[in-house]
Amino acid sequence: MATNTDTATETAPSRRLRTRLERAFNGDLFVHVALAGAIALVALPLVLAVIMSTQSTTEVYEVTNLGLGSAGLSNYETALTEYNLTRYMINSAVMSVVIVVGKVSLSLLAALALVYYRFPFERAVFTFILLTLLVPVPVRIVPLFQLMADLGWANSLLSITGPYIASATAVFLFRQHFMSIPESLVENARLDGVGPLSFLVRVLIPMSRGMIAGVSVITFIYAWNQYLWPLIVVSDQSKQVVQVGIKFLQGASQSGLTQWGLIMAGAVIALLPPLAVLVALHRPLLETFAIQQK
Amino acid sequence: MSDFTKPYRSTTQAGLLLVPTLVVLVAFLYYPAVETFRLSFFQTLLLGTGQQFVGIDNYVALATSAEYRQSLFVSVLFAAAVVVGTLAVSLFISYLLFEVRAGASGYLLAAIWPYALPTAVAATILLFMLHPTLGIVTHYLEALTGLTLDWFTSGPLAFGVLVAVAVWKQLGYNIIFLVAALNNVPETLTESARLDGVGRLRMLVRVYLPLISPTLTFLVVMNTIYAFFGAFPLVDLMTSGGPNNATNLLIFKLYRDAFSFNSLGLASAESTVLFGIVSILMYVQLRFSDRHAHYGA
Repeated sequence: MATNTDTATETAPSRRLRTRLERAFNGDLFVHVALAGAIALVALPLVLAVIMSTQSTTEVYEVTNLGLGSAGLSNYETALTEYNLTRYMINSAVMSVVIVVGKVSLSLLAALALVYYRFPFERAVFTFILLTLLVPVPVRIVPLFQLMADLGWANSLLSITGPYIASATAVFLFRQHFMSIPESLVENARLDGVGPLSFLVRVLIPMSRGMIAGVSVITFIYAWNQYLWPLIVVSDQSKQVVQVGIKFLQGASQSGLTQWGLIMAGAVIALLPPLAVLVALHRPLLETFAIQQK
Repeated sequence: MSDFTKPYRSTTQAGLLLVPTLVVLVAFLYYPAVETFRLSFFQTLLLGTGQQFVGIDNYVALATSAEYRQSLFVSVLFAAAVVVGTLAVSLFISYLLFEVRAGASGYLLAAIWPYALPTAVAATILLFMLHPTLGIVTHYLEALTGLTLDWFTSGPLAFGVLVAVAVWKQLGYNIIFLVAALNNVPETLTESARLDGVGRLRMLVRVYLPLISPTLTFLVVMNTIYAFFGAFPLVDLMTSGGPNNATNLLIFKLYRDAFSFNSLGLASAESTVLFGIVSILMYVQLRFSDRHAHYGA
């Protein structure tokens, strides 16, 4: 090793210290300690938020009070009822589920055509779909907003789901996956004269369960995270989604004091659904990402 | 794939299957994108009642606006800080996850959970934890350093806070890809170095980093896109662009110009500039991953 030459000039004790440090660094214990420390640090803000969501406003204002508070679950109750978080949560859930179902269905159909049909300009159609990756919402936000107004969709479920139910990424992923399905299966279907839709339902979908689950998780988490677009296109508060809903919570105050315990409760509530989905379905998610990257 | 016989031939059926996707993409992606470009050459009159062609005036206005140049500068700096910060922390955690032998799967979920963390939730939680007077983290940091960390009035501190929140939110996504990439490195490539007793850190820098460089490029692009587009809730919920425009990211300025000040033409020009930025990034990624294609699949 070239780098060993400079250790020769070091004094013996410092070299010994260095070796000892290096050995500790390369040991298993170091890995466990460092990893546990890093994970704890990353989780710390969330743990603090959960603790403080149980505190009353006076307790929160003590700053260093780290005990579970006297408010118990009442902050959660108030957020859900008085501050309408229940409504926002339902709106978010409906929006996310519609986007997931819509995106998966439309993309499966498109991928079926791209992989199993011979038709003119196949390559061009696929490129046409992929190029949409270049135009995220901020690039088309002004005309899209006007379009929603012209269609009469402002403040409706259609406006927060419609623009998201087709996706280049999902079409790409299903296309990749279909292409990896053994040709013999396709050949069998062809000889049996199976129609395209029953081929999709009976062969392709059962063979793509993992991929469908993975795309669904990615889409659900992405949809639940939406903030800018609902903020712009939904002006009727009762139709708003929960991410923007926690912004309304920030105005919550009691005799001049901001109710941070209540706000933390709202933040925890708004995090739970995507977190639950991730925990339950992280395996297909990881497999899908592995394919996306190739 | 070349000798694969496609079982179906009906162009009409293929068209029908593709129509739903294509209609949505044309109506909600292509049409508004083209319309953005057209609008960027117009000025909207009173509350959108009319439009007047102004040529490249909007672009000239942007190029000569000190506020816009500041916003561009802040956004680029923000993206750079988010990319470097996210990759450094994620790489540290991912490498430990890769090296750990016992309990790897338990650790993995505990490390990737921020993937499910919505940006608005991350912003709300850290807004309170780092609050200059009420934040417990700020309280102990101030006690530890003896500094006054009032990021409500200090531009650079506010910028730092936004970077920290963005990094926190992006960790999960980055760790997922980095761990997968590290696990994909064939052992035959690392065996000899391991037998030579090469230390952990040197292994990472000399052996693993070059081998996972396509993933690193991919993540640089994804994190940059997040910094330019996804960070909007951070600004909206935590700083509103202040203090002194220190956190006035392009996406926030665009939102305000369009929906608070109704300068739709100007905002469209800003969108077009953003489109240019995404295009360049995507191009760089494609070029880079093509050159490294031999590592893939």
